[in-house]
Amino acid sequence: MLELRDIVKSYKVGPTSTVVLDGLNLAVGKSEVVSIMGGSGSGKSTLMNIIGLLDRPTAGTYRIDGEDVLAARPDAASSMRNRLIGFVFQSFFLLPRLNSWRNVALPLMYRGTPEAEARQRARAMLDRVGLSERMEHMPEQLSGGQRQRVAIARALVGRPSVLLADEPTGALDPTVSQEIMNLFLEVNTEFGVLVLIITHDPKIAIQCPRRVVLGGGGIAQDSARVAVHA
Amino acid sequence: MIKQVIMEAVGNLLAARQRSILALIGIMVGAGAVIAMLNVGTIAREETLRQFRQMGTDILLLRVESPQGLGDLPLAQAEALPATLPAVLGIAPFMIGGGNASFEGNSRNAGYLGVTESFASLARLRMARGRFISRHDRFEPFIVLGADLAANLSTPYATVRPGSSVRVGRYVFTVIGILESALASPMLPTDVNEAMFFSLPNARRIMSVPNLSWAVARIAPSADAEAAGQAISAILQSSLGTQTLQVQSARSLIAGMESQMQLFTLLLGAVGSIALVLGGVGVMNIMLVSIQERRREIGVRLAIGARRSDIRTLFLAEAAALSVVGGACGIVLGVAGAWFFAWLSGWSYVFSPSAVPLGAGVSIIVGLFFGFYPAVMASRLDPIVALRAE
Repeated sequence: MLELRDIVKSYKVGPTSTVVLDGLNLAVGKSEVVSIMGGSGSGKSTLMNIIGLLDRPTAGTYRIDGEDVLAARPDAASSMRNRLIGFVFQSFFLLPRLNSWRNVALPLMYRGTPEAEARQRARAMLDRVGLSERMEHMPEQLSGGQRQRVAIARALVGRPSVLLADEPTGALDPTVSQEIMNLFLEVNTEFGVLVLIITHDPKIAIQCPRRVVLGGGGIAQDSARVAVHA
Repeated sequence: MIKQVIMEAVGNLLAARQRSILALIGIMVGAGAVIAMLNVGTIAREETLRQFRQMGTDILLLRVESPQGLGDLPLAQAEALPATLPAVLGIAPFMIGGGNASFEGNSRNAGYLGVTESFASLARLRMARGRFISRHDRFEPFIVLGADLAANLSTPYATVRPGSSVRVGRYVFTVIGILESALASPMLPTDVNEAMFFSLPNARRIMSVPNLSWAVARIAPSADAEAAGQAISAILQSSLGTQTLQVQSARSLIAGMESQMQLFTLLLGAVGSIALVLGGVGVMNIMLVSIQERRREIGVRLAIGARRSDIRTLFLAEAAALSVVGGACGIVLGVAGAWFFAWLSGWSYVFSPSAVPLGAGVSIIVGLFFGFYPAVMASRLDPIVALRAE
């Protein structure tokens, strides 16, 4: 489903180059929920950018649903992001000048969906995340938890294969964090979308059926492979 | 999609209202300057042509020069010209002088014009009252007054009218006619409104230099002004001796004025263009600032599937919206400016239909041109860097 093989990523800074990821292998099946942890410098952000098609690895292959997604040029990568990946960010990143449903409908607009249909699908998705009463609200009129729900609706409205969440609860208090986490687990079963959560919070990570820890340029621990190592 | 893009662009501009207004003012002043300048050019050209409306454009002005100064035109040969040259419809030799005229103790400076009776019809002068000098008047002490001179000589107690006596030098003349006010013409060396008209015999007695040095001629509308002038010179040359004949045609004067006007318009247009370019730089400036501020938004848009062209369109739409609105305000400003200029100069306002689309079109092109670089810059942003921006 999502398959990273022998991923190498190095950055050139002046004459020296730093290797962040060195031969990382990761395969995630459809409808898994995976947490990714790791100390700073372990390559979490780099991995997320690569998975999210925002960055290209120096070497290695990356397939989503068997499709080689590294071959794409920037504009094709845009349309792949639009089709395959939903992003959820720590600070929500809603567009401040668009109301809730317009924020949610944005990925559909970039896909060329007619406005009436986009509006209807955005409303359905907002309804699903429990914000049917907040369709016309502007982001600044919403609480942090509500904003993150709008962001999740935006990530899911295009029916992606992968939901990529970067510290999604990092800016929320524990109660709200738990609600958001529950929402992730719900949409995973409901839409069969693969959920990748990059997090620092062990309480979030522990709720994911599969937990991955990065380190040393690759995967240091993977709960799915514990049995193999043991 | 287009509606969405325009809505977003306008929304974004409204969100950064202060900055948008500043850019708007830049474009508005630029477009307004171009439109005003072009329109003033039209007004000035119209004004020039209006000066020829009094006498028409089929007019030649003849001037005889001798080595000592102004020469003397042979009257009989000059008046015989229409009979020999079919291109010449009529000719009126005249002499010019100036001095005092007084009426009821009210003294004024006046131009003296010694004329034949055909002068009025050639210069298209119309009588307000009375009649013009006739060829039978000869030494009769009759004068005709220009409109302004008649008004200026009148006192609150006595109005100059036909029959009034006007003193000129040692002579007293009887007013036999007063002219209607005429438009000043660049084809006459003196202002007819401020002049008094004498028969030639009287003029020779009054004037200090009684030389018949000038003539106006009307040529056939189909005739070539240049050729007619040369033909006249050729015929008169034998009786002029060492004197020379200068011929000036209304048409060549107009052509000269028009090329001057063109230069003038071009110059004004250039000034307007500089203002417009400054406006464009203003647009570019605020677009760059706006992009700097909205880098994270650009990152988000790229992350959720916007193509580079979508980002470019977004910012180009903002630049276009700014320049369209700025151009529209500029039209109002430019037309108002031109109107104000015409009003200040005492010219009549003429709307220039080409100035508006030209000015507006140029402002939109400038806006898009200066919006293009920032828009391309925005579309080239790396989404990772843009998302990390604060």
